[in-house]
Amino acid sequence: MSASIVLDKVTIGYDDHVVMSDISLTVRRGSFTAILGANGTGKSTLLKTIIGLQTPIAGRILFSTPTPKQEPADKNDFWFGGEFMTAQRRPLFGYVPQSNQFDALYLLSAFDVAMMGVYRRIGAGRIVPAAEKDLVCECMRATGADTFAKKMFSQLSGGQKQRVLIARALAAKPEILVLDEPTAGVDVAATHALLEFISQIHREQKLTVLLVTHDLPLVRKHTEQVVWLHEGKLLQGTASELLNPKRMAEILEMEIS
Amino acid sequence: MESLRQILSPDFLLRNSVYTSVLIGFACPLVGVFLVLRRLVFMGVALPQISSTGVAIALCIPIWLGILQPEHAAHSEHLYAFLGSMVFSLSAILILAFLERRTRGLPEGRLGAAYVVASALSILLLSKNRYAEVGWLDLMKGEVITIDNMDLTLTAVSLAIVLIVLGVFYKELLLVSFDRAMAATLGKRVVFWDVLLYVLIGITVSMAVLSVGPLIAFGFLLIPALTTHLFARNMRQFIIGASLLGGATAFCGFWIAYSFDLPVGPTEVVLLGITYASAFLLSKAITLLTRTPLQKGN
Repeated sequence: MSASIVLDKVTIGYDDHVVMSDISLTVRRGSFTAILGANGTGKSTLLKTIIGLQTPIAGRILFSTPTPKQEPADKNDFWFGGEFMTAQRRPLFGYVPQSNQFDALYLLSAFDVAMMGVYRRIGAGRIVPAAEKDLVCECMRATGADTFAKKMFSQLSGGQKQRVLIARALAAKPEILVLDEPTAGVDVAATHALLEFISQIHREQKLTVLLVTHDLPLVRKHTEQVVWLHEGKLLQGTASELLNPKRMAEILEMEIS
Repeated sequence: MESLRQILSPDFLLRNSVYTSVLIGFACPLVGVFLVLRRLVFMGVALPQISSTGVAIALCIPIWLGILQPEHAAHSEHLYAFLGSMVFSLSAILILAFLERRTRGLPEGRLGAAYVVASALSILLLSKNRYAEVGWLDLMKGEVITIDNMDLTLTAVSLAIVLIVLGVFYKELLLVSFDRAMAATLGKRVVFWDVLLYVLIGITVSMAVLSVGPLIAFGFLLIPALTTHLFARNMRQFIIGASLLGGATAFCGFWIAYSFDLPVGPTEVVLLGITYASAFLLSKAITLLTRTPLQKGN
């Protein structure tokens, strides 16, 4: 089960610092959307606001619910393209952060890290049951991380770490998979393999995928929708609409060869 | 070996001191591991000092206010010291942790300032109170000698609670320490688990400061964790190893101090330091010996 996202006139930022204001955005259920933009434009802030790590300064964020009601209970709820959108429910996110943000002091194996994905379903103080451990093994097999499951997470390469983090996100049984620059610090070959793999998961599981990246060729090849943050504005369209040289030149007000 | 036989005897006069020392030795590294993992080592330095300031204030204020007569202070001073230590430790760790998360600036600077001001305040307070000064100086020197059954029971119960809570909620405490963002997306109440961990650290530090003083508390919070991290291969080895090392060093330190008539606390901390230095050199030697020829070439 995946979910749709609607941002309605949302202002994002930290404390008293506004990063982007009055932005509206629609991400359809089962779509693969890339969020692009130069450093400091607010890509990660937008992502963190969507997944609930930061509170929007203004506006509302709505998600589709898998059990639609007949009538909106809240005046802010509404029907959108056959889906019931509400701000009352948060979908389950599978979050894949940048692999280089983790502290090497933690003596955790790749399996230990992937196992954290199932903690949502395990009550506080409870031991992880065997069935959940099997699921983690399955997710690690699917991402190709099973071959280094017993190795220390801190000693893995960037690409290997990302596979473990994606396995962890999948083990959470997410409705929306969110990846924050997953190819940062990963070599070219591993980057292609990683994006190919994410595309495969997207197709097979019909997951809604949100991907923050700088890599335009990969976006052109793999994603359907593009959200481009540029000078405080948010542009949304298909990859072919936004990422052709003419349109990019218009946006950037310069010639792109 | 005669001194060891005496220490292990059930009739040993200082048996409460041995038990308390070993209990603190086992318990402090359990929360110290989280201070190391969260890179809050300076917190481990400042917190015991702030806690001992709480003891100093708790010993002075009742006498100044006339609630307690100096000549009868000994009967109630343990209760006041316990309250002062606990209130100051918990308040300090929660405020410092909040400031670290919510405000910009230099966290190490705030901890350093808190440490210095706490030390100075303790000396100022106690310089005007000779009754309180005596007990506090013993505490500062780590004189683990005068521990009655009540103190021992209080320490044992508090540390047992810390051990049980850490054991039961280890999974959640590790998750919020390792990856807060992931914990939040999994629906975990990150602030609640943070506060719980800080309360556990605060309780342990309070009990340690009351029983063995700030110097030894700091030593046992950090040095066993740093030493074990050199060799541990997983979190279980790290946490259990640090705790066992702390307990064993506390016992051996007491034995050496008793055998050679040395102050217990400083002996234990020096022993911890020697163990850490030896472990560090050993780990470097192992690394050099196990390097492949290709690595040696590099």
